[in-house]
This record gives sequence, C-alpha cells and structure tokens, in this order.
Amino acid sequence: MYNGKYPINLWVNEERYEKLQAAGLADMTKEAMAGLKVIYVYADEAQKDKILRVFPTAKFDSATTRSIELLPRKVKDEIFALVVEKKSIDVMDDFLQKY
Amino acid sequence: MAAIGHGGKQIVERILGPDEARRRIHGLTQVPIRSQIANEVIGISYGFFSPIEGFMSKADVDSVCRRMRLAGGIVWSIPIIFDMTDADIAGYGIQPGKPVVLTYTGNPMALFEVEEIFTYDKRAMAQAIYGTTEAKHPGVARTYEYGDRFIGGKITLLNRPKINEPYTGYFIPPLEMRKKFEERGWKRIVAHQTRNVPHTGHEWLMKGAWSQTYAELPIDKPYVGVPVNAIIGEKRKGDYIDEAIILTQDELRKAGYFGDHNHLTSLTFWDMRYAGPKEAVFHSALRTNLGVTHHMFGRDHAGVGTYYGPYDAHQLLATIQNELAITPVYSMNWLYCPHCGEVTSEGLCNHKSEWQKFSGTLIRSIVDDGVKPPRLIFRPEVFDLTMECAEQYGFGSPFVTDEYLEKRIPVFSILPL
Repeated sequence: MYNGKYPINLWVNEERYEKLQAAGLADMTKEAMAGLKVIYVYADEAQKDKILRVFPTAKFDSATTRSIELLPRKVKDEIFALVVEKKSIDVMDDFLQKY
Repeated sequence: MAAIGHGGKQIVERILGPDEARRRIHGLTQVPIRSQIANEVIGISYGFFSPIEGFMSKADVDSVCRRMRLAGGIVWSIPIIFDMTDADIAGYGIQPGKPVVLTYTGNPMALFEVEEIFTYDKRAMAQAIYGTTEAKHPGVARTYEYGDRFIGGKITLLNRPKINEPYTGYFIPPLEMRKKFEERGWKRIVAHQTRNVPHTGHEWLMKGAWSQTYAELPIDKPYVGVPVNAIIGEKRKGDYIDEAIILTQDELRKAGYFGDHNHLTSLTFWDMRYAGPKEAVFHSALRTNLGVTHHMFGRDHAGVGTYYGPYDAHQLLATIQNELAITPVYSMNWLYCPHCGEVTSEGLCNHKSEWQKFSGTLIRSIVDDGVKPPRLIFRPEVFDLTMECAEQYGFGSPFVTDEYLEKRIPVFSILPL
C-alpha cells in the first residue's frame, strides 16, 4: 500500500518499453523484483473494490504484496495505453469511467 | 519391515487382482462416481489415507467434526465421505449390507461394502472443518453441494488407474515411495506441499527446510531428501495447469537446482478443501503415510482469502505434536533483497526498507503481461517449460481456462476390467 492506495503493476516488456521511450516516458518506470521494470498505477479503496467487482479474475494479494493482480492482459494494455496518452500514472478515474 | 503409517497403523493396500475383481463384481449394481470420489478411492485403497479403509461412518464423521479424531481416537481432520441424494440411493437400491461396484468414466473401479446410510448437518460440518459457514469459502461450498445422505463402508480397488502422460512416473503410492526413500539412503525426509509452478521463494523454502532438517546428521553424503508432493485434483480457472505444476517442480531437479540425491517429485490425487489448519493436519497424515519424517509449513498453509491467520496451522499442529509421526518444519517468507542481491529470508536480512516481496500471484501477473521474470525470481528453465506446457497442454495458456477444463488430458483413466 502506498499513501492509502493499492498498486496495479504494469510489468514493462520490450514492447511497452519502446512505447514509453517513444513518448519520452522511460523515466516513469521503477526497478522492482530483481531488476524488472514496472510502472505502478495506483487505485484507492473504492477503485480497488470496483476493479475486483468488474474483473472477476482480478485478485487483491492481501498477504504479500498488497497489490491488485491477475487483471487480464488486454485490460492492463488499456491502462498502459492511458498512461502513455496522458503521460501520467494518475489514470484510474479515466479508466474506470467506462465500466 | 512393516510400513507403519499415520496413527501407528500398518499400511495395507486394498487392491484386488483382475481375476478376483472380475469374480467379485459379478451381479452387483454399478454406481457411477465423480472425480472427487474417484480421487478419494485411490487415496483410500493405496494407503495414502491410512488408517482409513473406506468412506467414513457417522461415528467417524461426527468424531472428526467434534474432536478432530476418528472414532477410534486417531487424529484426523477432514471427513472422507461418500455423498448421495435420496433419489439416487433409492434408484440404485443401495442398502447396508449390499455391496456395490463404483464405476468411473463407465468402467468398474472399486468395490464399496455399504455398511451405513446416514445424514449429517452440513452447516455443522462446515463450521467444524472450515471455521465458517460462508458459502464463498470453496470448501464450505463443496460441503453444501454434497447430496443430503452419506454412505459409510469399506473400499477395495478393483482396477488400478492408468496414469496418463505426462504424469506417468509421478504417481508413487506409499509403499513404493518408502522403497524409493530407502534406495536413496535418506535418513530424514522433509515433504513440500504444492499446487504451484515453483518460483525461487518456493525453491528457497525447500532449500531452507532441507538445511533445518539436516541439523546434526553426518555430511559424508547427503542424508536428507525433499519429496515434492503436488496435490492434483479439481482445478479452478486461473490456477496453473496440472501439467505445468508437475513438470516444472521436477525441472528444479533436472536443471540442477536440486538433484537425484535430494529431490523427488510426486503427486497425490485430492481436491483441495482450502481448510487451512485442518488441511495442514490432513497433510501431516498423508505425508506420514508416504514415509516422510518432516513436513514444511509456511504462512497460511492451504488457506484461502482471510479465513485463517498466517500461523493458525502451526498453532493447531502444536496441540497434537506428540500424536504425529512427523516433525513440522516452519519457514518465514523468502524475498528478494536488492542490497544483498539475492533471495533471502525475512528472518535473516535487515534491509527491510529495500525488500522486494514476491508471491505466486505476483509472478502470474508478470507472466500474464508477457514478461520473462528475472532468473533470481523464476528460473529460466521453469519459465520456458511453463510456456512449453501452455502450448502443449494448456491451449496456449499456462493457466486453467474453460477450454482446458473441457478438453484437458485426464490425469488417470479407468480402463475396462
């Protein structure tokens, strides 16, 4: 948990890194998990609950990482596209609007 | 030497040869069973569930629920029950004293000596075993789905299961397992319970337990083994596929992270109940029967959601320690510390602000994103094999999908007798 928020980890593979570089956002990535690059997009309590309700495969890892995991790949691709478009990690309100 | 299992009882396989089996089933009513019951028939007849010889009587079920013991006093934590509806009991003409043949996928599997038909309050059973009556707990949901009547009686296997590829070689019943331990010269054997593809947190859990168990034994050659016993049973969407679980666990040995001298992968057929502490006690009995001397228990062993505290299983095991033949081996979490540059235990490393904790769920999310996790977190051989299994067995996914549930290769088949 970060400032009362729960991270969604957008793991950065080569394809995502190229998109970030092209948008001048490569600095947005953090190093996590033995050098793996990630972008953390945060959800607040209400957003977390909505995500878990809307996407039944999603899981809140309450025991270890306190992050929201197992969102479908295409959903995470959507969130990633919003991050690139808005050049910000503060995208959850926009993302959840259509759900 | 007699193979002594849980409760100090000798393990005896309850299996007939084909000729006698054919003779015994002549003229008997055939009753089809579902996969959970077929799994348990195997568990009973090969001695995985020793000293249990059949599906439980009301006295045993009641005693397990109320005292966590069989009616005879031996510790047992989860009812092994055969459920049926009133309509099916009437339809098949099932009566105490009248044996029936249990069939699976259309072929004879076991002789069921019906001794008793009874009812039991399923809510009370759920509360006693799972500590809750909430139907969202998967074990409770399973209990509520049972038919309203239960049938107790002894089971004898008529027809050995044919284990299908790629599981062949991983089905090692108790008597055979004990021979394998003896051949390897292991003096102490610490079991690892799994239903996952291993990440390095699991690997270090095993390596840590190996060291803990080794203790004062001589070091002229390795005397401690780690049998990995995968629970293979009903799958839920999003779980790793069974093929990936069993093959990647063994890959840790094949790729040299362990070796023949200290590692052996096998499976047990069982539909997980997610009973947390009660399932931990069940695992103790099961692995005692397999011949282990020690058993790993981590945080929230066999739990689900937030139903159990992280150390509830340890506390329950402590209350019955002098009645168990195994020594529990407890482990703190393993995590990655970038400062140390290695996977370490939270009980060892003090760079707490730098810790990078990881879990199976987190690794699944990395794999889902199309990213190869770093080798310190997930071994490359394990990752590559997981992806091969996805292609070969998982219809493109290493995780259980509707298509996998519909079309998967059965782990075992019962052939015509």
